[in-house]
Amino acid sequence: MTTTLHRQLAMICGAAALLGLTACASNKTPATADVAVSRAAVANATSAGAAELAPAEMQSAREKMARANQALANKDYKTAQDLAAQAQADAQLAQSKANTSKATAAADELQQSIRTLREELNRNSTTTQ
Amino acid sequence: MKQLNLKKLSIMPTVLAVSMLLAACSTTPMTTSMLDQTRSDFSAAQSNPSVAANAPVEFKAAADALDRANAAADKKESIEAIDKLAYLAKQKIAVAQEVAKRKQAESAVADAGRQRDEIRLQQRTQEADKAKVSAEQAKADADAARRQAEAATASAREEQSKSAALQQQLADLQAKQTDRGLVITLSDVLFNTDKADLSAEGMRTAQKMADVLLQEPQSAVLIEGFTDSTGSSAHNLELSQRRAESVRNALIGLGVKADKVATRGYGEAFPVASNGDAGSRQLNRRVEIVLSQNGAPIANRR
Repeated sequence: MTTTLHRQLAMICGAAALLGLTACASNKTPATADVAVSRAAVANATSAGAAELAPAEMQSAREKMARANQALANKDYKTAQDLAAQAQADAQLAQSKANTSKATAAADELQQSIRTLREELNRNSTTTQ
Repeated sequence: MKQLNLKKLSIMPTVLAVSMLLAACSTTPMTTSMLDQTRSDFSAAQSNPSVAANAPVEFKAAADALDRANAAADKKESIEAIDKLAYLAKQKIAVAQEVAKRKQAESAVADAGRQRDEIRLQQRTQEADKAKVSAEQAKADADAARRQAEAATASAREEQSKSAALQQQLADLQAKQTDRGLVITLSDVLFNTDKADLSAEGMRTAQKMADVLLQEPQSAVLIEGFTDSTGSSAHNLELSQRRAESVRNALIGLGVKADKVATRGYGEAFPVASNGDAGSRQLNRRVEIVLSQNGAPIANRR
């Protein structure tokens, strides 16, 4: 009876230890993956021209990326994960701002050209009359 | 007792820790300033119709992120943990706003493209209208020029035929071109002897003369009367004057304006023949009509 109890206890302990180990392993893997995803987000934002069009967000994203890498190197996976998530959020915002700024500039330019065309049209119609 | 004391002592830190934990729990705020800011950003995005229309996916992601931050606040997690989640939510809300703004700008671009096409169409229409108007104007101008040319040709032809007719009439009157103008001589036979009245033949000649004068409104005439040397010179002068007057009256009667016809009697002066025989004397009895053309004054006889 006691032996079976002991065996059961040992099994529970072993399972717990195993769980703890897997927890440790799974704690490491997502942090690495998160940092990689954030790196890709920063790269996307950069290629969208965010460095010039949304410099503040871009600066913040890069800084957090660097700190996430540092945390990863220090095996501080929780911090690495948090910083990677923030860097990703910053990079996505930087990219959105860059895209918005380009679209707005295009719209403004078109509006200006329409104004010019309309003025020309009005001038021509007044000279005809 | 000693054991009890030991037990008490060992319990003390636990109690302390538990009480500290409770205190920490009770002082843990339901919100943080970051979360407050995020919630306010969220309600701004929520009341922006463009976000709902243009960035539903991004807005959903932001709402989910805010839910997580709110849940952390409800569970009274650490300020740091709440702020981390709130920050992510805040950035996602900003992304949703940016995406909405971008889509609006893109639709403005599409709209502007349509407007530009419309204006260009208007310009083409305007140019075409203008071209049509100027073509019509050019045609009208050409028509007017042609009509003018035709009129000019017609009037030139008319002028020519009029002038030809006039030349013919002057030829009929045996007009002679002299340096004083055209001179038409009405011979004695056109007057009854010693009378100033025109004979029927004289009247026909006067009629021709009047036709010429009526056709040539700018011309004027001087009618000069002459006699032969028979009779007193006073009588001859008076007779020559009367004959000239008679022609003038005939012309006025035929419609010629009085101020265009002047008269002068010279009597037996300026003979054209010798007065030695009847034939010569007949040549001297005459009336000469000097026709000035184009309003030129008639020089006096010297």
